[in-house]
Amino acid sequence: MIKVDDVRKEYHAGQTVVHALKGVSLEVQAGEFLSIAGPSGSGKTTLLNLIGCLDKATSGQISIDGQSVGDKDKRELAYLRREKLGFVFQTFNLIPVLSAFENVSFALSLLGVDGQELGERTNAILREVGLGGMERRLPGQLSGGQQQRVAIARALVKGPSIVLADEPTANLDSGTGQEILELMAELNRRHGTTFIFSTHDRMVMDFARRLVLLHDGLITEDRAVRATGGKA
Amino acid sequence: MKFLLSLAWKNLFRYGRRTFITAAALAVGIAAYIWMDGWLLGAEKESERNIIWYESGSAKIMDADYAEELKSLPLKHAMENPGAVEAAIADLGLTHTRRIRFAGELFFGEGSLMVQAIAVDPATDERVFRLPETVAEGEYLDGSGTGVAGEAQALIGRWLAQDLGAEVGDLLEIRTRTRYGAFQTIELLVAGILDSPNPVINQGTVFLPLALAEESLQMEGAVTEIALYFPEWQEPEDRMSEIRGALSGFPELSLVGWRELARDYLMIAQAKTAGSSIILLLVFIIAAVGISNTMLMAVYERVREIGMMRAMGMQDGSIRLAFLFEAGGIGLIGSAAGLALGAAVNFYMVRWGIDLGALMGDMEIGYRVHSVFRAAWHPQALVGGLVFGVLASMVVSFIPSSRALKMGITDCLRHT
Repeated sequence: MIKVDDVRKEYHAGQTVVHALKGVSLEVQAGEFLSIAGPSGSGKTTLLNLIGCLDKATSGQISIDGQSVGDKDKRELAYLRREKLGFVFQTFNLIPVLSAFENVSFALSLLGVDGQELGERTNAILREVGLGGMERRLPGQLSGGQQQRVAIARALVKGPSIVLADEPTANLDSGTGQEILELMAELNRRHGTTFIFSTHDRMVMDFARRLVLLHDGLITEDRAVRATGGKA
Repeated sequence: MKFLLSLAWKNLFRYGRRTFITAAALAVGIAAYIWMDGWLLGAEKESERNIIWYESGSAKIMDADYAEELKSLPLKHAMENPGAVEAAIADLGLTHTRRIRFAGELFFGEGSLMVQAIAVDPATDERVFRLPETVAEGEYLDGSGTGVAGEAQALIGRWLAQDLGAEVGDLLEIRTRTRYGAFQTIELLVAGILDSPNPVINQGTVFLPLALAEESLQMEGAVTEIALYFPEWQEPEDRMSEIRGALSGFPELSLVGWRELARDYLMIAQAKTAGSSIILLLVFIIAAVGISNTMLMAVYERVREIGMMRAMGMQDGSIRLAFLFEAGGIGLIGSAAGLALGAAVNFYMVRWGIDLGALMGDMEIGYRVHSVFRAAWHPQALVGGLVFGVLASMVVSFIPSSRALKMGITDCLRHT
């Protein structure tokens, strides 16, 4: 479903060339709940950005559902992200002037969904992430955990095949972080959506069913794990 | 589209104070534009009316050589047979009057001033001009043109009277030359003082009876001009063509319209309008810089949001449109407020105007308006100000939003 083949990514900072990824290959099947882990600067966010079509690889191939993303132009990539990918960010990135309902329905409106269907799907996903009754609240009136739930709802409302989450619990306390991970795991089981999240937090890794360890731009370990949900 | 409009509307109130200040700057700019435009237009219209009513009439028939040397008012080029000319244009249904215009030095007490003297026919002059309405003190010239003791009567402008210290009943002298170049002194009794809306009349013009001038200047029935009046709605160009046709038998004569006679004024008015446009442009640049700055800050503060929207698959064009709508909203609020403010000020200016009479005696500003400056309504300026305010606001927001959209999505998401 996702195939990453010998992907390299270089950044240029003045005269210095930073090799963020030095030849990464990876295959992810539909419905996986996968954690990309590693210390800061290991390249996990870069890999997530490349899979999410937010950035272009310096070399190598990435394909999603058999389509190579390397040859797509800006407009086609935007279409691909809109249709197939959902994003959850470390800092939630909600629009502060929009209510929880509007922040979530925004993703649907990009797909041209409106009217009754938009309302029903948005309300349903908000109830599913535990925010029933909070639809009209602005992000500033929600806790960090609730805001991240809105962000998860926004990522899932359009029914994407893949959700990419970059350090989704980094801005949350451990209790709330655990709740968010439980929610993501539950949604993964219920919807069959592929979840790929980056982290350097041990507790987060414990929720994954597959762990990819990155170090200095290279995959050092890729193994299936038994998710303990932080209880092991 | 609905979402973009909703987002733009909500973002307008995200930083309410900033939106208010920016819109207020634009409102002041638009209001100033409407006010100045209305004022200039009002001054121009009133000037044109005052030129026609008090200075030139709608047009003049003159000897071509006299018209050529109009500034020196040469009596030697007078029109020999005004009666024949009047007969030629009689069928056109025009109102007209004869005048003799000449230059002279006016003496009163120990002072003297160069003046323009205009000899008018009291019986027919008011068919074309409106001098009798402007007599502020004393009386208009009566039919005989002489006072009780037989002195020749004269009318002088208020500012001229003030400069000379002359009053009604005082005797003045005009020294000039006759049509044949001989020196001549004409004694005149101040019968009335004029307070004309046209400052040129108030400043340096003396009116005297036509019969007196004919005799004193050895005109022998000749006059320097036949002034004509026809309303503006009578298509002046068509009217002028008709008159030219009627005068085809008088090749030595020239028909000169008021616009040609007031060329100096029109040039000044045009220069003023151009100068005012530059000031208005500066006002708009200031407002545009304000909006641009506001949008720059708005974009800068929302770079991560922009990154998120792009990550979710929103097209750059749609994001740009959201900012254009937001800037357009500021433009609409500012322009609408400016329109209301400008219209309110203009209403006052149209209804009551501003009395600059105290300044006008000492200051030449080019307009033929004496004291109360009134504005006029200019619907195009009202609509144009509103539309321009909105469009200009949208245009200036283009650059800041484009800058953000040039950044990579990941750079946007990392932006702090």
